[in-house]
Amino acid sequence: MQVFKAMLRIIRKRLPSAMIYIVVFVVISILVTNASTKDNKFEVTKLDICVFDEDDTPESRALTDFIGKINDIAEIENNRDVIIDSLYYKRVNYALIINKGYAEKLAAGETADLFGSYHLDESYSVVYMGQFLDEYITSVTAYLTMGKPIDEAISCTEETLSQHTDVDMLRVDKGGNSHYSVDFAGYFQYMPYILIAAIFTVICQVLVTMNKKDIRYRTNCSCMDSSKYTFQLIIGSGLFVIAVWFMLVIIGAVLNGEMYMGRAWYAVINSFIFSVVVTAMAVFVSSFEPKENVLNIITQVLSIGMSFLCGIFIPMEVLSDGVLSAARFLPAYWYVRANNMIADITPFSFNEVVQCYLIQLGFAVALILLTLLVRKVKYNSAAISTNVKKAVVSD
Amino acid sequence: MENTVVKIQDLVKRYGDLIALDHFSLEIKEGEIFGLLGPNGSGKTTTINCLLSLLSFDKGRIEIFGKEMTPVSYDIKKDIGIIMQNVAVFDELTVYENIDYFCGLYIKDKNKRKKCIDDAVKFVGLEDFVKFYPKKLSGGLLRRLNIACGIAHKPKLIILDEPTVAVDPQSRNRILEGIQELNKNGATIIYTSHYMEEVEQICTRISIMDKGKKVAEGTKDELKRMIKNTETIIIELLELPDKAYREIASLPHVYDSKFENGKLSVYCSGGKHNLTRVLEVLQKNELGFGRVYTELPTLNDVFLEITGTALRDKED
Repeated sequence: MQVFKAMLRIIRKRLPSAMIYIVVFVVISILVTNASTKDNKFEVTKLDICVFDEDDTPESRALTDFIGKINDIAEIENNRDVIIDSLYYKRVNYALIINKGYAEKLAAGETADLFGSYHLDESYSVVYMGQFLDEYITSVTAYLTMGKPIDEAISCTEETLSQHTDVDMLRVDKGGNSHYSVDFAGYFQYMPYILIAAIFTVICQVLVTMNKKDIRYRTNCSCMDSSKYTFQLIIGSGLFVIAVWFMLVIIGAVLNGEMYMGRAWYAVINSFIFSVVVTAMAVFVSSFEPKENVLNIITQVLSIGMSFLCGIFIPMEVLSDGVLSAARFLPAYWYVRANNMIADITPFSFNEVVQCYLIQLGFAVALILLTLLVRKVKYNSAAISTNVKKAVVSD
Repeated sequence: MENTVVKIQDLVKRYGDLIALDHFSLEIKEGEIFGLLGPNGSGKTTTINCLLSLLSFDKGRIEIFGKEMTPVSYDIKKDIGIIMQNVAVFDELTVYENIDYFCGLYIKDKNKRKKCIDDAVKFVGLEDFVKFYPKKLSGGLLRRLNIACGIAHKPKLIILDEPTVAVDPQSRNRILEGIQELNKNGATIIYTSHYMEEVEQICTRISIMDKGKKVAEGTKDELKRMIKNTETIIIELLELPDKAYREIASLPHVYDSKFENGKLSVYCSGGKHNLTRVLEVLQKNELGFGRVYTELPTLNDVFLEITGTALRDKED
């Protein structure tokens, strides 16, 4: 297994580049998973309010106490510069000044010039506090008009405004099922990008190295059977691809918090088939023996191009019909289509999922046949170029 | 009687209408350093490729170690080592790993292989560089690694295809000495080159190729005897009157002469005391002269006379 061992040594040299892609992918997946979890929860936000009570009456103190119940009261020095600094550095969200004469004006039903404030323009806290104070004053005024005394009007207002509604976040139904949620499907949706990047970075480069003209010449001169040589290359490439795929599948299970069950296995199979397709693509590209910088460009074009065209980075529902029609000629389209069905983002059909698998495998077979064709043409053209060179000399 | 290691009979290789090898035959005996000499495109590499079964051929037969050579003659291939013009090693593997890889294509046994690798490393003098990657090696050291990869499995037949192209003189000498040492250790060598000085220096027998045909074969002395020229006398003169020139041209054994840029060249074929006779003519005509020296024929002269073209001209 000399070739296999040499191949593993070369793969080991290339591994750090592939690991960068995988690590970045995993980190982004963790961030996305955490972010999507927060979307499902609702909690009341409290503001940091500082109140400067210049009226200092029972009515103004009642208002200050009530603000303290539904927000956090921050205490800062009553100095313009200090207040502005505190707002700027977000130590407080709003500075309320209860103007002198507040109680008298309230009792008289006057609503003008009751308050002053320091705040940052266009902040949500301004809108929130503005609405709150309007509601408070309107309510107190209403109770007073009803003939209630001021202290009772205030307590009734507080009671009214203390009522709150339970809020549950309802998400738009994007699909998903008990074993394969939309978040989990998102992880598998991005997987093609990472598979292309990682497999191309390593396998293409290793195959180009192993099949370099001079090295292959020397190997062909040896007593190693060429079929054994090819077999060892296949084993080496296959082992790497399966290792990368398996690692991504395991990471997926860890991020999801449970082992694959039910429908999720379809996604695992889908990703494995796509790994086979990517391997065939890598073998095809390597048959052209591109230089390292050209190979990097090809890797980026294929991975990013397919990701944008086939619904990996942008959901398929957002893509235009024209783009989707073109994407049908790319294997990633069928991967994403199957993934969407498995996640119930589009209606699930077992037959159609299998059809997507088969189309992907068809791409793999076609790429292998093309590789054989390219190798044959290259061999013939090499003979022709030798012919031309010799003809010139002989003339 | 010496054993025949390589026997090529009536080999024909065509590329479309072009005949790359035209009824080419060759026999190489055990222990020889056999030189295949010819300009670029003369068919040397095609011969080697056919010999190694890397190219199919239209007609003929190739035998190595007395057995017919085919693409699946792995029992023959295990005793052949190849060293090419281009350095064929992995940049990703160290010196030791590279030799181990290529040696491992021939030798499965780990202990036996280790000994072979150590011997090869010692032979090429890379003991201090075994953990180095090829990119860290100088051009000369890379060539030595290339040789080590080709000979580590101790082949009985070593084929060197222009191994000194673009190599500095010091490294070239080391390579040539190494080839002679390999030969002393029992290996039969096939050495292809268009550098006639190298072939002349190390080869025990030489075959000259041109346009896919063998134009001459023999030891260097045998080849030189095939041509008319045996000696060229060169004399630096300020002037040479026509009378004296005609007198020199008519001397016995002189078959050609020329006077260009103050340099008289007299071409002789056989005979003795040719130089004395030419100097006597100069003295008789009271002509002063500067440097006087003679040149013996080279393989280039052999090639020139047989094909009508100089080897160097062909390369250009």
